[in-house]
Amino acid sequence: MNKYLKYILLLSVIFLAGYKSVYLKKLSTMKDPVNEKFDAVVFTKKLWVKKLPAKLEAAVELSTLMEMVKANPGEAFSKYSNALGIGNYRYSLVKTEGSVTAINPDDITLQIKSGDSALNVMLATEYIYGNAIRDASALVDIKDFTNNMDLNNISEEMNKKVRYEILPFFKRNVKKGDHVNVTGAIELNAAHIKFNGIEIIPVSLKITQ
Amino acid sequence: MKKNLLQELKCLLLVALVLSSGCKNNTTSSGNPKKIAIVVSTLNNPWFVFLAESAAAKAKAFGYDAKIFDSQNNTSLESDHFDNIAVAGFDAILFNPTDADGSVANVLKAKTAGIPVFCMDREINSTTAATSQILSDSYSGAVAVGKYFTQQLNKKGTYVELLGLVGDNNTWARSKGFHSVTDNYPELKMVAQQSADFDRNKALEVMESLLQAHPDIDAVFCGNDGMAMGAYQALVSAGKEKKIKVFGFDGSEDVITSISENKVTATGMQFPKTMAETAAQFADEYIKGKRDFPQKIPVAVELVTSKNINDYTAYGKK
Repeated sequence: MNKYLKYILLLSVIFLAGYKSVYLKKLSTMKDPVNEKFDAVVFTKKLWVKKLPAKLEAAVELSTLMEMVKANPGEAFSKYSNALGIGNYRYSLVKTEGSVTAINPDDITLQIKSGDSALNVMLATEYIYGNAIRDASALVDIKDFTNNMDLNNISEEMNKKVRYEILPFFKRNVKKGDHVNVTGAIELNAAHIKFNGIEIIPVSLKITQ
Repeated sequence: MKKNLLQELKCLLLVALVLSSGCKNNTTSSGNPKKIAIVVSTLNNPWFVFLAESAAAKAKAFGYDAKIFDSQNNTSLESDHFDNIAVAGFDAILFNPTDADGSVANVLKAKTAGIPVFCMDREINSTTAATSQILSDSYSGAVAVGKYFTQQLNKKGTYVELLGLVGDNNTWARSKGFHSVTDNYPELKMVAQQSADFDRNKALEVMESLLQAHPDIDAVFCGNDGMAMGAYQALVSAGKEKKIKVFGFDGSEDVITSISENKVTATGMQFPKTMAETAAQFADEYIKGKRDFPQKIPVAVELVTSKNINDYTAYGKK
């Protein structure tokens, strides 16, 4: 009886010690993450669908940003802008509305209200390049990436979305005199701030009249 | 008796604390300043001289001894520098590599010797060798140059491209960024692409030969400002400097002056001082105990044209 009890205890100890000390996993799930190729298309699509809408919803009114930059640039940039790298360029997601006063080959002039006066902003319709959307959205953390080309590819994919999914319908339908609501990304040089004629890379566009 | 012993222990503890804090600062236990080495690819180009001198000045401002080593664009000489630096007991290296692949072994050698390496401007093809790499965002800067280039040429015409050193990642980052814009316009055609090694004299020769084969081009994109000045010189000799637009990359003194005189159309302004000072600051933080650094940090490159030339001076802002 004691002998059996001894075996049972011994087996229990072995079972307890061995439990969860060995894992079995498929080799296919254990690929070296360093060698895994980053897929910018899949990554961007996920951000675009799942996370960007909330960011667009929370975009600051362009007039609010302008007033805050004039009053307290440090606080304005810290609260409403972002940049992955070091330097003077800062990027913000802004929303505004206004009337189309000119349709040019590469952009559209939108006249918006700025306090008691009017201000012209340019909606880019041809040259959709650079990091404005990626950085303004603040959805990408530089510490998650060791390869700068992956970061460049995210920008490229975001720009392609605008070029091929957002702009064609808008360009076909917009007319001079239309009222347009836009949410998009702007680039500001913190050392030389200029709002008049500022270019907005549109991410969301709505013709309301 | 017990009281005396307690006091002695307190004194010993205090001395130990002072010594340990001294070791974590910028002086050695013997009171001499710690040493930072600045290894730069070449001192035969004023841009890199400025980079090296800015790094040395910042390191000295932090209280370190700083010494500059010139690799003369030679990876073997760079390797000798790394050996000497390890033997001489330097505490950190601020490094501008000669070759993205060839310099990895040198950085690994320093890592094995326990010396942190902070890359400036040029990257190495390893994400585990250097402690951090502070790099010009060449790709994005070239995207901005490419956009302005396309606008200036009204999306049509022919051009040539002068590439930098083929072993340097910046060469390809700039070329790829530029083409990520221009290649979208089928009427904008590149008729020749040739390396001039980031060298002004070589660019002059290459451009002279390219003009023989393609006398009717509309523009030339150069991977750095040295080559842009070489190309411009060739255009002046051929009497074509008014017809063919020149685009560069760097923000060197010659080109900034040339843009203000409407000789060169645009350049991408890099900020060597920002990169050098960030690298020196990281080295200081490392020596003082910090270990969490991003592997690569891009430093923005700004487009300089005749429209905003008054906002800039060579190698940075006014």
